[in-house]
Amino acid sequence: MKFSWSKAAPLVIAATSIGSPLTAQETAAEIVDRIDQMWRGESSRAAMEMTVVTEHWTRTIEMTAVSLGSTHSLIRILAPRRDAGTATLKVDNDIWNYLPRVDRTIKIPSSMMGSSWMGSHMTNDDLVKESRIIEDYDIDVSFSGVRDGTDVWEFTLTPKEEAAVIWGSIVEEVRKDDLMPTWVRYFDERGDLVRTLTFDDYRTMGGRLIPAHMTMIPIDKPEESTSFRYNELEFGIGVEESFFSLRRLRSER
Amino acid sequence: MKKSPWWTIGWRNMGRSRRRTYITAAALAGGYFSIVVLVGLSRGIVAEMIANGTDLIAGQLQVHAPDYLPDKSIYETFGGVDRASIDSLLTIVESDPDISAAAPRVYAGGLIGSDNFTVPGQLMGVDVDRESSVSRIVRVDEGRLPRPGTNEAVLGGEMARQLEVAIGDELVVVAPSVDGSMGNDLFTVVGIYNSGIVELDATTVIVSIEALQYLIFLDEGQIHEIAAVVLDPWDAEDAADRLNPLLQSSGHEAEAVPWTELRPELVEYANLVSASEFIIVIVVFGMAIFGVANTMLMATYERRREFALLLALGASPWGVIKSVLAEAIALGFISILAGVVFTAPFLIWWHVAPLDLSFASGGFSMSGSYVSPVLRVEYPWSAIVVASVSLFGTAVLAATYPAIRSARLPAADTLAGR
Repeated sequence: MKFSWSKAAPLVIAATSIGSPLTAQETAAEIVDRIDQMWRGESSRAAMEMTVVTEHWTRTIEMTAVSLGSTHSLIRILAPRRDAGTATLKVDNDIWNYLPRVDRTIKIPSSMMGSSWMGSHMTNDDLVKESRIIEDYDIDVSFSGVRDGTDVWEFTLTPKEEAAVIWGSIVEEVRKDDLMPTWVRYFDERGDLVRTLTFDDYRTMGGRLIPAHMTMIPIDKPEESTSFRYNELEFGIGVEESFFSLRRLRSER
Repeated sequence: MKKSPWWTIGWRNMGRSRRRTYITAAALAGGYFSIVVLVGLSRGIVAEMIANGTDLIAGQLQVHAPDYLPDKSIYETFGGVDRASIDSLLTIVESDPDISAAAPRVYAGGLIGSDNFTVPGQLMGVDVDRESSVSRIVRVDEGRLPRPGTNEAVLGGEMARQLEVAIGDELVVVAPSVDGSMGNDLFTVVGIYNSGIVELDATTVIVSIEALQYLIFLDEGQIHEIAAVVLDPWDAEDAADRLNPLLQSSGHEAEAVPWTELRPELVEYANLVSASEFIIVIVVFGMAIFGVANTMLMATYERRREFALLLALGASPWGVIKSVLAEAIALGFISILAGVVFTAPFLIWWHVAPLDLSFASGGFSMSGSYVSPVLRVEYPWSAIVVASVSLFGTAVLAATYPAIRSARLPAADTLAGR
């Protein structure tokens, strides 16, 4: 399973689109890798809402997202009006924003990759980070059994020594019966919890069971959150890499 | 009361070897001159650092919303809905007798993009007319300042270089707004400044306050800061103490902060320099004291028969001591007079016309302050007093040993030439 839930929303959907139940022989790493492989090369189109709650404002952004694997995505904002038409294109490790008001495209400089994407609690880095889980993390089962009435696994992901990742560790809980994630907790290098991602509203969309709603809460500001809700979702839409171009970023409505 | 004759004797004795008196007085006057000028110079450097650290952009006093510092969140504004509330705040700030000018500001962080490059930057929205009398950063090297309410921008030279833009070129400016949206607009480069601090020149973009308020969705009465000029920077703390109750009673949620709180490292530096001034005094007069002592020893040695005669005739040893000390005090008096006569015009001249060393050295930045290669002196009033007292002290101290020696001469042996 690809547990980089910090990714852009459409990437997350793909990651959570798990088909068959786990067989007894599979190890934790195999589970993760199998899903990681399933997820690669997958294309999707989603209509979604992102709700950002901060100390100062709360706003819901409606957007569409097209993605191809973990490397390519194009997100376009439909509402609210002040931001409508604003689009983000991600190709590999680069991000461009299109600003319809001024009809210009700007590339996010590397020094700004750690700053917020569209005012949310996700950073630009969250959009581009695409390390393959089994390459960057050692995966252990840190819990297996019934928790809150549900049979779950808890995986602990510890970065390998040479891995260039920002988290000190990631802990995630997965339901055994349908391999649906329930939560992911991100820890920094000191072992302090930095943010949590929780999943709910599991439903079948685009022919697959997915958590249609996920909420990210930064631990230092527990009253704030960013949540995503999928309204529509399709898989295997047949887009090519060439779809994700700067021209498309500017022109597609 | 009859005047003691020893004073007269001491005074007259100075005339016995005039050349020696002149040389000794010149040494003491030179010490006085050195102390006053060196201390004045070191205070000049401190004053220059404080001035550069505050008048480039910060001002000597700032007014913010109470929680604005240290995070400088764009949400921590003060003021009201319309421009009138800013004007009333400015009136309050400028009512302080020590404050000569004040200017409102709005800040935002964002991205600045040219056709090919994008860099992060800090946007500073200014009231152009007022800002000119508050900060030096708005003194553009090329072009002009933005006109109020227009999408015009002034960049630092370093940012212009990074973005490869010149005057007349267009910039995309993107900044998170206070409602959570992404404010974005096109701005035209109308001017370029060079502050001397590369980090500043690479990041700060000056636009009109109205344009920035519009970009980040602030009401035109909402601002992040009022920066004010306090003519003597050391009055800023008092000015802040006077302003705070005024701001409170006017109903504004705002507080005044002096530069001494904003830039504590400058205060520390100033304290360090002033603490080291006493070293100058010790070194200079420490050297002088031996010269004077030597002279006085010589002078008293030459007159030992005279002292012996006085003692033989019944003068008290204390009287002899007094005559020598009186000479030293008179010498000190003449030296101070000479010191003042030489030092004052020099100091005034240097103060009025600071020494520009730019031919020999470029400016540099030190702990965020630009230090220009101009040496200026401040009038070191306290050091003038200290130097005068030290000079007297040196003269008297140097004379004490020769005086005591003279008073203890064995009168008969000395007169007998033994």
